[in-house]
Amino acid sequence: MNGEVLVFLILASLAVIGGLLMLNLKKVVHMLLSLVLTFLSIAGLFIMLSAEFVAVVQVLIYSGAVTIMMIFGIMLTRHQDEQRVQKNRVRTWVVLIGILVFFYTMYEAITRFVSVEQASELHIENTKQIGMALYAKYVIPFELTSVLLLVALIGAIVLAKREEEEEVKQE
Amino acid sequence: MDFFVYQNSYVFVAAFLLLGLLLPITALTVGRWLRPHHPDPLKSTTYESGIEPFHDARVQFNVRYYMFALLFVIFDVETVFLYPWAVAYDELGLFALVEMLIFVVMLLIGLIYAWKKKVLTWT
Repeated sequence: MNGEVLVFLILASLAVIGGLLMLNLKKVVHMLLSLVLTFLSIAGLFIMLSAEFVAVVQVLIYSGAVTIMMIFGIMLTRHQDEQRVQKNRVRTWVVLIGILVFFYTMYEAITRFVSVEQASELHIENTKQIGMALYAKYVIPFELTSVLLLVALIGAIVLAKREEEEEVKQE
Repeated sequence: MDFFVYQNSYVFVAAFLLLGLLLPITALTVGRWLRPHHPDPLKSTTYESGIEPFHDARVQFNVRYYMFALLFVIFDVETVFLYPWAVAYDELGLFALVEMLIFVVMLLIGLIYAWKKKVLTWT
């Protein structure tokens, strides 16, 4: 086993552990921190794939900004509600079958995957390569991103404003 | 740059990451060994500048915090898009400038909308 496989195994298991902790922990802040662990290990995986820029974006946007937004979202809700555990046997089985089918599909897809060409030059001026591709070749998706961000912003403002008005009425 | 060099330069990053993780862990563990441990109910109350604590600290947040966080995320994403644009600008020329102007103006519309809707003011 060489070093690359070892690092991959460590990062991948950290990502999975973060996800499992996020589902099983009781306090929301602990959940959020385990989610950050998952995000950071995924950033590590991106670095292993020589996608440095994507890794930095992963750290900056996901473990920074998105986490902040999530914690504010959680603080907005009534987070002291008791969790009511409903054990449903049929649901458990359906979920189990879903997991198995998903695992089988992914396993087949990965084993049958044939890599067409090895992108071996990705680590050379990674950010510049992304810039060249994004602003020369994929112009329309890039401009659509701005529309998507605008829609997200305006939609959130409309929703939050309505909520605020209701609060004022209640007072 | 060789791929081997690229990979090996991240060994330093890993070393610093390990050091950064170990520093608080050792500091807190050694602190636990050294300090005396005599808890009593008065000591473990919340410290509120000498005022007797009342009510619960975990109140529901104002929706405005969320709006500021959302604005932050949106413009954070914008900044991320500006980085590869700035790096590749020399080879892209005027077309890229127009593209980025459209992008920025789109988000500026969002900012003006937020401003007009009084999201930015705190009353």
